Amino acid sequence: MARMKFLCDADRCIECNACVTACKNEHDVPWGINRRRVVTINDGKVGERSVSMACMHCTDAPCAAVCPVDCFYTTADAVVLHSKDLCIGCGYCFYACPFGAPQYPRVSNFGSRGKMDKCTFCAAGPEEDSTEAEYAKYGANRLAEGKLPLCAEMCSTKSLLAGDGEIIAAIYKERVMQRGYGSGAWGWQTAYRETVDV
Amino acid sequence: MQDERQSALSRRNFLRVFGGASTTAIAAATLAPTEAQAYDPGEEETRARYQETDHVKAFYRVNGYPKEK
Repeated sequence: MARMKFLCDADRCIECNACVTACKNEHDVPWGINRRRVVTINDGKVGERSVSMACMHCTDAPCAAVCPVDCFYTTADAVVLHSKDLCIGCGYCFYACPFGAPQYPRVSNFGSRGKMDKCTFCAAGPEEDSTEAEYAKYGANRLAEGKLPLCAEMCSTKSLLAGDGEIIAAIYKERVMQRGYGSGAWGWQTAYRETVDV
Repeated sequence: MQDERQSALSRRNFLRVFGGASTTAIAAATLAPTEAQAYDPGEEETRARYQETDHVKAFYRVNGYPKEK
């Protein structure tokens, strides 16, 4: 079974923010919510890097682990989705997520945030596929239409990859081999130092 | 005078008894242990939507380097 993953090739990202704009337009995302963001480090300096970030659809999702109403579920193709009918907007998932993916439509003096919103890997939610009700709550369901997330499909520099994890990892590996260097985020040694035995 | 006091006490006792009983009933109804109702999405919600269509294959093809023929 294919596992859906995002992979951003930081050597190609030019911080154009087209992925952010395309996502907002495709899903009619309200003001104040960005399901995807471009994060830039060392901005304006030598070694500047930009990475497009959204929900990474974790295998053991921390958002799901802390949700008091258990509104998260993982689909058979490893996409982490949630039910807005059950969400109480407590904000625990926001604190738990290492990527800052969960977003909330409201801020009030009494802490009510509204229903959480996040990237759905263009797979919408638990409602019936490609219905108006589904679109109103979660946005378009491109996966059901036989397409991939729009942010990746329209990336002009082919930096953002989405789809079957094994296939996009192979595409990225081929790029690294061709270049002769990685983006500094390739391999277990990056995260766990040289001493890790894999 | 005695009758008036007696009737006042009865009224208060009535409210005490009635109020106490209803509070206990509400507390019993709300605090009674019930089975947790966690969200259990069905097979339809969790089924795989991903399909390797021509559209998706084209995405993989253009993102990789051209294959030598």
